[in-house]
Amino acid sequence: MKRYLTALTLAVAMLTTPVLAEGEHGLTVTAPDPVNVSRSAGLAAWDRLHEVFVHPRCANCHVDAEGVPMWTGPSYGAPGPHGMAIVAGESRIGAETLPCQTCHVTSTQPNTVAHAAPHTGMEWQLAPVEFQWVGKSPQDICAQVRDPDRNGGRDGAGLVEHILHDAAETGFITWGFNPGGGREPAPGDLQSHLDDTIAWVAAGMPCPEDGQ
Amino acid sequence: MKLTVNGQAHEVDVEDDMPLLWLLRDELGVTGVKYGCGIAQCGACTVHVDGMAVRSCQVPAAAVDGAEVTTIEGLGTPDALHAVQAAWIDQQVAQCGYCQSGQIMQAADLLDRIPDPTDEEIDRAMSGNLCRCGTYPRIRAAVKLAATKLQEA
Amino acid sequence: MGAVKTFTRRAFLVGSVAIAGGVAFGTYLVRRDPANPLADDLAADEATFNPWVKIGKDAITLITPHVDLGQGSAHAQAILIAEEMDLEPGQYRTSFGQPSPAYWNTALAAESAPFRQTDTSFPAQAARQAIGALGKVLGLQVTGGSSTMPDSYQKLREAGAVARETLKKAASVETGIPVDKLATRAGAVVLPDGTELAYTSLAEAAARIEPARDVPLRDPSTYRLIGKPTQRADIVAKSTGTLDYGIDLSIDAMVHAAVRMSPRRSPVERHDAEAALAMRGVQGVYEVTNGLAVVADNTWRAMKAAAALDVTWAPAPYPAEQADHWAEVEASFTEDRLDQEWRNDGDVTAATGDVVEAEYRCPYAAHQPLEPINAIVRVTDDTVEVWSSHQMPRFLQQQVAGVTGHDADAVIFHNQYGGGSFGHRLEFDNITLAAEIANQMRGTPVKLTFSREEDFAQDYVRQIGMARGSARVRDGKVDAVDLQVATVSASTSQFGRLGMAMPGPDAQIVAGAWNAPYAIPSFRVRGYRVPELAPSSSWRSVGAVTSGFFMESFLDEAIHAAGADPLEERLRLSDWDVSRKVLEAVGEMSDWGSDLGPNRGRGLAMVESFGVPTAEVVEVTATERGIRIDKVFVAADVGRVVDPINFENHMQGGVVWGLGHAMNAEITYRDGMPEQLNYHAHEGMRLYQCPEIEVRGLENNDVVKGIGEPPTPPAAPALANAIFAATGKRLRSMPFHSQIDFV
Repeated sequence: MKRYLTALTLAVAMLTTPVLAEGEHGLTVTAPDPVNVSRSAGLAAWDRLHEVFVHPRCANCHVDAEGVPMWTGPSYGAPGPHGMAIVAGESRIGAETLPCQTCHVTSTQPNTVAHAAPHTGMEWQLAPVEFQWVGKSPQDICAQVRDPDRNGGRDGAGLVEHILHDAAETGFITWGFNPGGGREPAPGDLQSHLDDTIAWVAAGMPCPEDGQ
Repeated sequence: MKLTVNGQAHEVDVEDDMPLLWLLRDELGVTGVKYGCGIAQCGACTVHVDGMAVRSCQVPAAAVDGAEVTTIEGLGTPDALHAVQAAWIDQQVAQCGYCQSGQIMQAADLLDRIPDPTDEEIDRAMSGNLCRCGTYPRIRAAVKLAATKLQEA
Repeated sequence: MGAVKTFTRRAFLVGSVAIAGGVAFGTYLVRRDPANPLADDLAADEATFNPWVKIGKDAITLITPHVDLGQGSAHAQAILIAEEMDLEPGQYRTSFGQPSPAYWNTALAAESAPFRQTDTSFPAQAARQAIGALGKVLGLQVTGGSSTMPDSYQKLREAGAVARETLKKAASVETGIPVDKLATRAGAVVLPDGTELAYTSLAEAAARIEPARDVPLRDPSTYRLIGKPTQRADIVAKSTGTLDYGIDLSIDAMVHAAVRMSPRRSPVERHDAEAALAMRGVQGVYEVTNGLAVVADNTWRAMKAAAALDVTWAPAPYPAEQADHWAEVEASFTEDRLDQEWRNDGDVTAATGDVVEAEYRCPYAAHQPLEPINAIVRVTDDTVEVWSSHQMPRFLQQQVAGVTGHDADAVIFHNQYGGGSFGHRLEFDNITLAAEIANQMRGTPVKLTFSREEDFAQDYVRQIGMARGSARVRDGKVDAVDLQVATVSASTSQFGRLGMAMPGPDAQIVAGAWNAPYAIPSFRVRGYRVPELAPSSSWRSVGAVTSGFFMESFLDEAIHAAGADPLEERLRLSDWDVSRKVLEAVGEMSDWGSDLGPNRGRGLAMVESFGVPTAEVVEVTATERGIRIDKVFVAADVGRVVDPINFENHMQGGVVWGLGHAMNAEITYRDGMPEQLNYHAHEGMRLYQCPEIEVRGLENNDVVKGIGEPPTPPAAPALANAIFAATGKRLRSMPFHSQIDFV
């Protein structure tokens, strides 16, 4: 546990200053109170993270190797395959046939138009196939998220940095909590997601049914 | 902001969030690009921005500052047709024709990236462009004809 | 213009009259008919021949009064004239002309006579003539009901022939060479020595002579254009972005308007325009019927401000919830709502055998052509000018006049190519709303463009309906079919908005069912009229899309219950040679009866609508992920295929329209408002779902008919029947995607 805390403290030391200096999203990175860094608090934080990950707003782009995004919303009903025969392909950006960016432009302008193709400040794409969430159990997803071989080489601090970087770019995580256009956001908000991530990392990134 | 449309430089004073579609149609009078849905569901507004097909109804003006925009009018003209336009004429694709600017711009982009697309690739690349008249069988045929002509050229 | 105004009906009756250096031809048709509207609007160096032909020194203009909404009517009408006039494509331009009683539709009204196509009895013909004459008296200029070809085929060829022969006569007078030594070719009269006198050079001479009369039409075997593949006149412009639709037009000093209309078609109870008025480019907010209009310097700014209006709407004048709409339909199979018993062959009550019963539903659907409805209107104290695309130009004049207080004749209408219609441009909201706004700012041209969402919300939907079928099958045969159909009356709703009552029963409620060309021993079809619910309108193929689905789905169920083959049994029951051959054609095209392999199925349907029997065979595969439509074979008989490329394109388009909406589209109401407001929620078909579609045109029918609508009705039942063949599952209500997945 101490190892994680050290890493996190380091990360916070490295990251807070530049990120918050740019931070239009007003995120606050708070080092966790060591007293609260218990396994149970970590698991509780994980549960909230999991709830976010499997919310359609987030999970819809974490699909399998076939690369068919999902979409959802009041008029689409339950999550289903993205219409128009969209396949993002092995490239995960649609490069093979129809790039995601044909409709999902890259822009930090707010998403205001209902049912328009949403956009973020990052180039629209599917998450890497290693990060498939649709159809995966909580244990599977948890194991993925803490595995640097599958999570883009990130340790706990890296995961926190991932959120801060996303906020600075008005990226996908940031959008998920503020999707605009009348879309249902992921549960909670970006700050609580950041807090939960920090708490989970600080607790040693525990997963359900771990260490029994 | 400045942008180039069909080779011609323009300077316009519009809101950052005015969609490129309306900048082209109402501010610059370029009407070959069509308004159909405003939410990237129909593809009638497809243009090329810096060489890539995009739905101009989704592109905010702020994103095209300094960009090169090509519309159907810049792709080719009745006297100097682009191969895709020539194929569309040869196959007599259009009925009402309202979606065809977008279809042609999308097809030109597809053939730029995939010179000899399979049926499946055509289906995937062209299914974001809606045609209410149902000219799809002819669109498929015209894309294939254009591919052949472009490869012969 | 002064001289032109003197060109009166009387002058026209006398024959041909010189006007401003040109000529006017009278044809025998025209002499009997209303005045030539072209005479009212001639430039100094132009001349008019008849309501369809105008020649200037430099150009020949052919008037194609049926507006082109994508159906290729401008080209098809023009080649009918050009064929007889010896013009080549490219030697003339076309115009939709001004609204005029001279362009009364000779075919549309007659089509509505309540007799089967096969009925050539005296009462049937007399009724068709009587109703047809009504069209002339009313000056009914309408594009719709697949009537462009039936209306035009004879009269436009005659117009061309008269023009040709009169030009020859003029050349004869000029050269002294007898008419029978003269020929015509490619826009010129050809003298025996090969000298060519261009038509444009003969106009003035022709003005001084009596026009040719009783001109024989050419032998169809000599046709150069009719029935031959030709290049559509608009195809280059439509492939290069250079054709201006109404939405593309710009008038000097024009302002841009957007509307925010009640999604409940109800009055505004309260509104606050403060936020909208503060937005960039906004010039004003105006009250209009059931809504508000924003005028701005740009379409997007107007739409954005319209969306920012804070408005409270009154309740809807129809049931608020979709379930209540269905409940009203379900409650309509009663004696007092019986609209008409349309057919009662044999005695269904006495039939015996195994009973087959089923119930079907067809939901509301929207038209939603891709060009949103729009109009430019400029109102001055003397005139109103309107630029838009519309199917009923003379009604449009009346509607506009009703708003502005002008005489209908003071409304000048510039009809435009339309970006699709499917029945949508029979309605007037965009026109009258633009007139309401423009009338509040007289002198300023106002361009009103509907947002897609407003267009959906204000669309007058396809009729909602249900059917209950009861059949008896015996000895492997269908012995009795008793079909009850209950729908709202789209025609009553539509014409009611024009202040016109539709007396008598509505044949469209049962169109495609009551006229089914089958001699089922006992066959009864009853139509029930559901009281007005959400206001509805003609939707491509009108009643046949609902009752064709009901009839051909239920007949298929009965045939399967009898253990008979769907094609063989339909052929056995056929009582019209024309429709039998259409069935045989799709049987042959699809190799009906051959083995398709596992998880595949073939479905057949045949519906006669607008006088055109159309049969379709749909082939599907039940994949792990859902139904894939592999191929469609479609055959129809229009008597004569005037433009074979356009015919094929339309057959394919009609199939796509029918399949796409059967699979994927419905409009439902919640809290009095339609729930589907853009294409993501009402998609129709996209390219990836489109099957290969093989087309055949037959010419056994002895009348010429149109192809805009007839391919649509058989598509849904053929698909449902194919899905049954592949899966054993019967789909009895549209849209099918609510019950089965499609890939």
